[in-house]
Amino acid sequence: MKDLIKQGLRLGLVFGVVIIFLILFGLTTTLSDILGDFVNLDSNTRTGNSSGLMIIFAILSLWAGSRASAADRSKWKSALVSGAAASLVIGLFVAAFILLVGFLDSKEIAMRDYLAQLDHLSIQFLLFGRSLIPGVLMTFGIFFFFGILGALLAYWFEAKNAGEVIQKQVFILKEKVLDSKLVTQYKENPISKWIGYGILGIVVFLMPQFLGKYWNYAMGTVGIYVLMGLGLNIVVGLAGLLDLGYVAFFAIGAYTAGLLTAPAPIALQIGFWPVLILSVVFAAFAGIILGIPVLRMRGDYLAIVTLGFGEIIRVLIRSDMMSPYLGGPQGIRDIAGPSFFGLSINTEKAYLYLIILAILLTIVFTNSLQNSRVGRAWMAMREDETVAQAMGINTFYYKLMAFATGAAFAGLGGALFAARNQYTGPADHTLMVSINVLCLLIVGGMGSIPGVIIGAFVLKGLPEILRELELYRLLVFGALLVIMMIIRPEGIWPAPRRRMELHEKELEILPTDDSLVGKEG
Amino acid sequence: MSETKPKKSTGRINSFTIIQAIISVLFLAFLSWRLYNVINSGVYGPDTWVRFALSGLIIGSVYALIAIGYTLVYGILFMINFAHGEIMMIGAFSGYFVFEALKSVPVAATGLSFLDSYQIISVVLAFIVGMFMAALSGYFLERIAYRPLRGAPRLIPLISAIGASIFLQNAAQVMFGPKRRTYYNPMSLSRSQGWRIPIGGEEVILTYTGVLTFVLSIFLLIALYTLVMRTRYGRSMRAVAENKQTAALMGIDVDRIISNTFIISGALGGAAGVMWGIHNGIIYHYVGFIPGLKAFTAAVLGGIGNIPGAMVGGIFLGIVESLGPAVLGIDFQLKDVIAFSILVLVLIFRPSGIMGEVLSEEKV
Repeated sequence: MKDLIKQGLRLGLVFGVVIIFLILFGLTTTLSDILGDFVNLDSNTRTGNSSGLMIIFAILSLWAGSRASAADRSKWKSALVSGAAASLVIGLFVAAFILLVGFLDSKEIAMRDYLAQLDHLSIQFLLFGRSLIPGVLMTFGIFFFFGILGALLAYWFEAKNAGEVIQKQVFILKEKVLDSKLVTQYKENPISKWIGYGILGIVVFLMPQFLGKYWNYAMGTVGIYVLMGLGLNIVVGLAGLLDLGYVAFFAIGAYTAGLLTAPAPIALQIGFWPVLILSVVFAAFAGIILGIPVLRMRGDYLAIVTLGFGEIIRVLIRSDMMSPYLGGPQGIRDIAGPSFFGLSINTEKAYLYLIILAILLTIVFTNSLQNSRVGRAWMAMREDETVAQAMGINTFYYKLMAFATGAAFAGLGGALFAARNQYTGPADHTLMVSINVLCLLIVGGMGSIPGVIIGAFVLKGLPEILRELELYRLLVFGALLVIMMIIRPEGIWPAPRRRMELHEKELEILPTDDSLVGKEG
Repeated sequence: MSETKPKKSTGRINSFTIIQAIISVLFLAFLSWRLYNVINSGVYGPDTWVRFALSGLIIGSVYALIAIGYTLVYGILFMINFAHGEIMMIGAFSGYFVFEALKSVPVAATGLSFLDSYQIISVVLAFIVGMFMAALSGYFLERIAYRPLRGAPRLIPLISAIGASIFLQNAAQVMFGPKRRTYYNPMSLSRSQGWRIPIGGEEVILTYTGVLTFVLSIFLLIALYTLVMRTRYGRSMRAVAENKQTAALMGIDVDRIISNTFIISGALGGAAGVMWGIHNGIIYHYVGFIPGLKAFTAAVLGGIGNIPGAMVGGIFLGIVESLGPAVLGIDFQLKDVIAFSILVLVLIFRPSGIMGEVLSEEKV
């Protein structure tokens, strides 16, 4: 009994603190606004109708209650006790917090200067538009009631074996679908693969026609990230070299394209196509130049050096010293676009086609590279460098090759990016770009091409859909990276080999010596 | 942290060492030529040089304090605690809120705010709160983002650390707003006041904030060194750094030592944050990132895992960074380029750092 209460209290504490932080981030109000829009509750911060917020609070406390009851669900009493303890703590915590905030607000102390999300309107919203005491009591009530309800529901599910029943049903359904005639036929038919590709191709080909200007632009950005992701995939995913300064090559590509085609600061104004090739070549060359000294290092040192290199490039391109040659903080304007057999490419749609074409070429290229002798050498190096060396692989040469190939794709992406925007400046080449590309690799699944595409959509496409959450995009990224590393380090759609590698330990019966401490020197 | 003496490498002379020697000679020659030119041309008087050196020392001592955090964690877990700069930012914000809160409390006896009436108490309070909050965040950072990943391949905790760093930065931005804030110091710690030292006919101001920063960080560094090298607790820390399994067999609670390492490095980072706020005056959510990176550079420079190395590296980096642009005759905007170039060069030519041990390949 004591243990149950203790566990409930601890869980309640965690949930309470997390909920208070959610309120401080303003996520509760934003989410309830989205929910209000979604189910047409007419509930948002402007109208002051906070039924959406109530639902969010209720869901949170249901979750907390069911989690708390996980301690012992064999008897309804024990589920009730731990659930009640947890929901009591959560209710007290959140209610006390709202009481404090509401009190300060009623004294007309402007907390907004210090805590940006707590303006008068959202505090009123948190109090459900009521005055201080009833609002706080209501908050407490919601958390307490729904927390206990959650615990009891969890007990009930457990008692009815509902979880297992549902799982079984889903499993049976899955088997049925997989074994059905249509699917088996499809699976066994050698042409079906090509039919699938064909359908995908048609969808991709027609997509730009049906999307509006804005979406074409957004998808173009996603496409450029896919391109860069495919490039970084070679460096990080295949060769296992963590490169945090990937943006440097992107910048080199963009600035090559910009400087050689724009009228200022250097009026060369060469046509787009030769410049595209030049920017790829320059970026690859920069990759080799950086790679020669740097690639002797391993692991995290390499990461930091490349990160430093990226920062050097960024500081250089925005410095006053280089501004006569590179345009300084203003960047380069009027970058020329390409023309295709007399057809000038200047709309978002045309650029999207161009980017899709580039992606297709890249996919074909990386795919064949991956399955070639070179790709196998990279993977061998990633698994164990010493063994790879012993097998006669010139690791330095192959590392350099991976670095240069990855850089070349970044250069391509940069050139396309600069041409599409007709502008490039230091603000386009921050560290965040490197981190975004790395994130999409990790989220999608390292070393896998479909993973890269999914990752780019999740990281660059989803935020376009959820525009209200723009403020929280990076916040969620950061949390996502940590959670991903803990729960599913191999990504959404991993390469099979990498999944095996990361779950190696689960297959072993005895824990190895390394499992306690990691690698020792 | 290990105390093994650096071994003399007795390898063959290969092309790499020759190139290394040639490049360093050329670089030194270039440097002395530039220095000769700059001093001869008289662009900067002696007072300016002193000013640069002083600001370098002060900022370097802050770097040293942050660098210790990297070194401690690296020494024990062999991971780069990428979010350490953000811990410093949390400390800076905590100190800022303490000052703001105390500013708004009036004291009837003096007719001034609490902040200006009891200045020493206020500053001490800011440091205590800043260090406490930063230590707390360090503890939770380890519990949430790193502990579940112990034993995973080395890239995984690094990525998790990058994630934590992004999360903390943006959490601060969302919570406190993106605007830059000015530290409101107590009266006698005003940033323009200080001792005036006449040098070469000009006056150089040695600010009180600078002296506070330097003295306090040196004090903290010595305290930490004593803790690690002279106490029983420090011995168990070193034991864990040397070999976790053996340490566990000797009855040391490895998990607790690791937690406490994060707490200690967090507290030092928090103190650095408050110092940064008091001395530099401006804080925002991104404030910890660049100093964090530089402090990491400093830790690498001094030999990562080596405590005196991090101190020396930090102060060295601070001085190089503030003197470097003047010596090389380039823009002061480019001082970050100098810092990162040093990082790259050190990692290429001497990955074990100035004072570092020769790390085995596994550790590097």
